[in-house]
Amino acid sequence: MTVAVPVALATPAARAAQPVAPRVTLIDSASAPLLARGLFASGDPGPIVASLAHVPELLGPTLPFLGAVLGPSWVSLRETEMVILRTSAVLGCRYCTETHSVVALDSGLSLDEVRGLRGELPLTDSFPDDAERALLAWCDAVALGVDADIEQARRALAVDDARVVHLTLLAATTVMLNRYATALALPTSPDVRERLVRAGL
Amino acid sequence: MTAVAQPTAEGTVGSRLWLYSNYHCNLVCTYCLTESGPKVAKRELDPATMLDLAHEAKGLGFTGVGVTGGEPFLVPEMPELLVELSRVLPVLVLTNGTLFQRALLERMRPLADADVVVQISLDHSEPEANDLMRGPENFRKVVEAVPQLRRRGIRVRIATTVEEEDADDLERLCALHRQLGVSDDDHVVRPIIKRGRAETGDMGVVARYLDLEPELTITADGAFWSPFAPTVRQGTLDTDLLLTRTVRPLRRPLDAMLVVAGARPEGADTTLNIR
Repeated sequence: MTVAVPVALATPAARAAQPVAPRVTLIDSASAPLLARGLFASGDPGPIVASLAHVPELLGPTLPFLGAVLGPSWVSLRETEMVILRTSAVLGCRYCTETHSVVALDSGLSLDEVRGLRGELPLTDSFPDDAERALLAWCDAVALGVDADIEQARRALAVDDARVVHLTLLAATTVMLNRYATALALPTSPDVRERLVRAGL
Repeated sequence: MTAVAQPTAEGTVGSRLWLYSNYHCNLVCTYCLTESGPKVAKRELDPATMLDLAHEAKGLGFTGVGVTGGEPFLVPEMPELLVELSRVLPVLVLTNGTLFQRALLERMRPLADADVVVQISLDHSEPEANDLMRGPENFRKVVEAVPQLRRRGIRVRIATTVEEEDADDLERLCALHRQLGVSDDDHVVRPIIKRGRAETGDMGVVARYLDLEPELTITADGAFWSPFAPTVRQGTLDTDLLLTRTVRPLRRPLDAMLVVAGARPEGADTTLNIR
């Protein structure tokens, strides 16, 4: 079996940093455009929706797409959150890393596994299973986009094409959201920040 | 059946497409929805785009075009553009009526043979009360402009926007517009809407989207629910009645409007006589 090694993160995911100011106004319920009102009906929909609402026609196609790729699917919740959190940590996306650290814990990943995905513990310690490390190496390769690494990681990833496609779109969509959230400096919700502090993350 | 014909017949959406030609204005009215004034960004729709939108609107089944702003006649090409637009669909243009000096009046002449109605704002029968809201000399300029336009064969409407209806003042105002040659059918009275500068000044009536007739409105900032929707408050565009940022193809904001209109509760209708 080809060995693919997840990258060592140069800078482990930042610990819950001070709140940052977003680079766009986040739409609130009073300013929500007509097509977006339903998304604000039961409270704060989060900064991705609150920023996308500036361009309401993007909400219609984007949210179902994100739901289909990032939401519950035939890929297990554990794998899904491993991919999202790992990719976000590799790309240094503060918002996605913080938010999905909590989602990962809620999805059953252990604190050490979350720390490993965030680059705060060696992955070999947190993920002794070769298949899971191969998945993480695939995430790293997709996130960083170096063809030789992708080639090596693909050889190590012993899954069928359908699973490769889904996992790759999951990682690639996370990359898109990482860039979006980082560029707009989307703020982590106070609830998530509190959970992170309580978890020691 | 065209995209608009059935919803229009059912009263779901209005059949006139509104175009915000620009946001700047020579006046600074106290209740202006768009906080227009001489110093604001122009945010113009360029004339070629407006003409293209009119053609698209006709193809979709709209039966008229409204042009508003800002003050549309600050757009240099406006008289000629109105003639061009009227070759596609009947046009209603809203103006403060203060810019009709000799040169502009001469350029307005071709509108006599075009399907264009010029709607001029006049709020009170007395200069003092009118000019308090709309600025110095406004009353005089309007009562001079109306006959000048009519003399050139141009159909003129008067729009009166009031905080509280004063029956005596309204009666005097009606006598005045009749004297200026404008019939009662061409006089519109509507309330100040509590948006834009009116909201800052705590004037007018609160209007929810259900109170506003759905009339697709295109601006440089996107497509909105009604011509009363693309308001500006303390320099920031209101987005609560925004439909889409994408305005072309026109079908895209129209579809968004139909989605929203379809979700309106049964029986929802305008109740505030906002038109």
